[in-house]
Amino acid sequence: MDELLNTAPCGFLSFADDGVIWMVNATLLDSLGYDQNELLGRHVESILPVASRIFYQTHFFPLLKLHGKAEEIYLSLRAKDGAEVPVLVNAVRRTREGTVVNDCVMMQMRQRNQYEDEILQAKKLAEEATRAKDEFLAVVSHELRTPLTAILGWARMIKTGELDERTAARALDTIERNAESQNQLIEDLLDFSRIISGKIRLDVGQVELDSLAEAAIDVVRPAADAKGIRLQAVLDPRAGPVSGDPERLQQVLWNLLSNAIKFTPRGGRVQVRLARVNSSVEITVSDTGQGINAEFLPYVFERFRQADNTTTRQHSGLGLGLAITKHIVELHGGTIRAVSPGEGQGASFIVRLPVMIIHHVEQLSNDAEEQQAIARKSQTAELARLDGVRVLIVDDERDTRELLAAILTQSGAMVTAVSTAADALEMLRLKKQDLLVSDIEMPNEDGYSLIRRVRVLEEGQERRIPAIALTAHARASDRLRALSAGYQFHMPKPVEPAELVMAISNLTNRAQSSSPETAPDKSLNRSAG
Amino acid sequence: MTGKVLVRNNVKVFGKGTQPMLFAHGFGCDQNMWRFVTPAFEEDYRIVLFDYVGSGKSDLAAYNPERYGNLNGYAQDVLDICNVLELKDVIYVGHSVSSVTGMLASIREPERFEHLILVGPSPCYINDPPGYVGGFERADIEGLLDMMEKNYIGWSNFLAPVVMKNEERPELTRELEASFCSTDPKIARRFAEATFFSDNRSDVPKVKTPSLIMQCSEDAIAPLDVGDYLQLHLPQSTLRIMKATGHCPHMSHPEETIQLIKEYLTGARTS
Repeated sequence: MDELLNTAPCGFLSFADDGVIWMVNATLLDSLGYDQNELLGRHVESILPVASRIFYQTHFFPLLKLHGKAEEIYLSLRAKDGAEVPVLVNAVRRTREGTVVNDCVMMQMRQRNQYEDEILQAKKLAEEATRAKDEFLAVVSHELRTPLTAILGWARMIKTGELDERTAARALDTIERNAESQNQLIEDLLDFSRIISGKIRLDVGQVELDSLAEAAIDVVRPAADAKGIRLQAVLDPRAGPVSGDPERLQQVLWNLLSNAIKFTPRGGRVQVRLARVNSSVEITVSDTGQGINAEFLPYVFERFRQADNTTTRQHSGLGLGLAITKHIVELHGGTIRAVSPGEGQGASFIVRLPVMIIHHVEQLSNDAEEQQAIARKSQTAELARLDGVRVLIVDDERDTRELLAAILTQSGAMVTAVSTAADALEMLRLKKQDLLVSDIEMPNEDGYSLIRRVRVLEEGQERRIPAIALTAHARASDRLRALSAGYQFHMPKPVEPAELVMAISNLTNRAQSSSPETAPDKSLNRSAG
Repeated sequence: MTGKVLVRNNVKVFGKGTQPMLFAHGFGCDQNMWRFVTPAFEEDYRIVLFDYVGSGKSDLAAYNPERYGNLNGYAQDVLDICNVLELKDVIYVGHSVSSVTGMLASIREPERFEHLILVGPSPCYINDPPGYVGGFERADIEGLLDMMEKNYIGWSNFLAPVVMKNEERPELTRELEASFCSTDPKIARRFAEATFFSDNRSDVPKVKTPSLIMQCSEDAIAPLDVGDYLQLHLPQSTLRIMKATGHCPHMSHPEETIQLIKEYLTGARTS
């Protein structure tokens, strides 16, 4: 039996309750470099490094004593030469020859130890990633909702039919601007993960905060009106430009204004002030709202702070928006602080941004003017004319179909719009078309299949009908797939009217040819007919 | 409030006497650790056992990392229990870190406590040269935290949530009972940090309650120097060096532990 114990391929050690070692096998002695007489009678703690000693006293021994056994305990032993020997211990408490002893089997786990370290590390990284993902989703949903406030608010007001023409036009502008802004956000979704990792990218240019503030006030005005809150702006146009990302700075103003309105009761007042303070531009958003408790004030900008439930509920709207706001302000080299005389006495949020250095202003303002000129041109320039061009639109979504038809009709095109690939093929047979605009994702038969069938029908023909694919996907692989299926052009949704008209104009040779009627073509319906 | 605290801290009250003896477990364990000594006091005292929030069968939902980030939070558990049970003239028996929580509780509400019995106490585990030997360097404790992490990951991370409320599967509950007494690795880690990184030396002289310091002769966690330090700075304290070795004499040497406590209480009575 002794022989078996000594040659077993695992360590064995037995100690009494007072820690004195009674028995140890040759395998364990070998791995620790001790002789038997060096260990027998010694305290078990003498072969434990400090951390193991504490763990032995606080966990291992109580477990053995209270439950009679301990399984899969990781410990480190100290070899005679000082090296640490990691072991996995299974132990059982029993009475032998009238004495209570603790028998331990010890498996060396040098390699396993390393694997476990790696697993632990991987686990930590995975937890970190999950947390980052959750935070990211929270940020995204918050950001997507902000422009929706203005879109829905104004849309509902237009629906009442009580807006005068000027206000209604302004409402439409606001809706358009916010829809564009939301579209931008969707495109920037992945980019937004940078907020979490602290790598948000700024498109820096010269920003006039007074016009930005006016725009932000427009966004929140419906919400303020709905609550009967008076919005006041005291904007000094000479406050000076700052260098920054206009989208992000607008976001800052939205967030501060939305918060102010949210926490101000009916009939209250929200004021935006813009002023030059030394070499900074200071924006102050003050309200007559519920104010902020002095104890909570230092934590107002903390993200996901764990306050008690009451505080969390009360300030749920403050957490994320203000955290993002602070982050953006700081990225601009600015500061933000909150001031409140106390609960029920309103609050002010004060943003300070460094004013743009003047000799840069000249240069940049030229650039900015140029950019604005281009922007104006692209917005107001008349869309290219498509007079007489016959366009067939295929899209299963009615709203999109109607929108596309409206855009193209406005440009003079003769539009036929259908909702399925089958209808499209039928229409191509019946009537000559100059161009096909097709959605890709459609029930029953998708846009890939449609264009393949069109191209098969065209075999042997000299002319192939130009076709544009519309998809919600903008990846290179989507574009490639659309082109290889037979489309000439791939356009991601949402469609920019000017871009669509320009593409159709190019594909139907409008640039060169003034009369579509004279364009040589053998249309599909002829070949089919 | 009463029921809440009693459930939260898994409070158990028994014994035939009237004077309360409140036993507070140490780090890494739960009230079970007292089961070898409480029978000796049942006849004469009202025994109160409990688990700190985060340990044993306490209500994990009541755990608040801020409150339990330092030992005052644990001391508050003690005072909450004293309060709901309306305990007076308490003989407080605290093991290891609970020696400090007992001191902190007695400083805040001295009228509740008659005696503190401190088993393997230490007001500060980290060495502070040149004057103070606590027994450990910070790196030692970091090593302990790593070791805990490895030992806790095995079962508790994955099984604990299942085990906690699985009455229809008693084998899982048994599994839990045979495991470490702190069930959540994050809580255990925070308790370890609160225990080993705290320095409560400045609180020691503020204690007004008479106390017995029970010091094991070879204790890796609370070395003899610490016992000497405490006797010197803890007002009205009696130091007894035990024959017992190790850090858990109430488990390894319950008879000697019982005997010393009884001797002390008898001596205190007669004097």
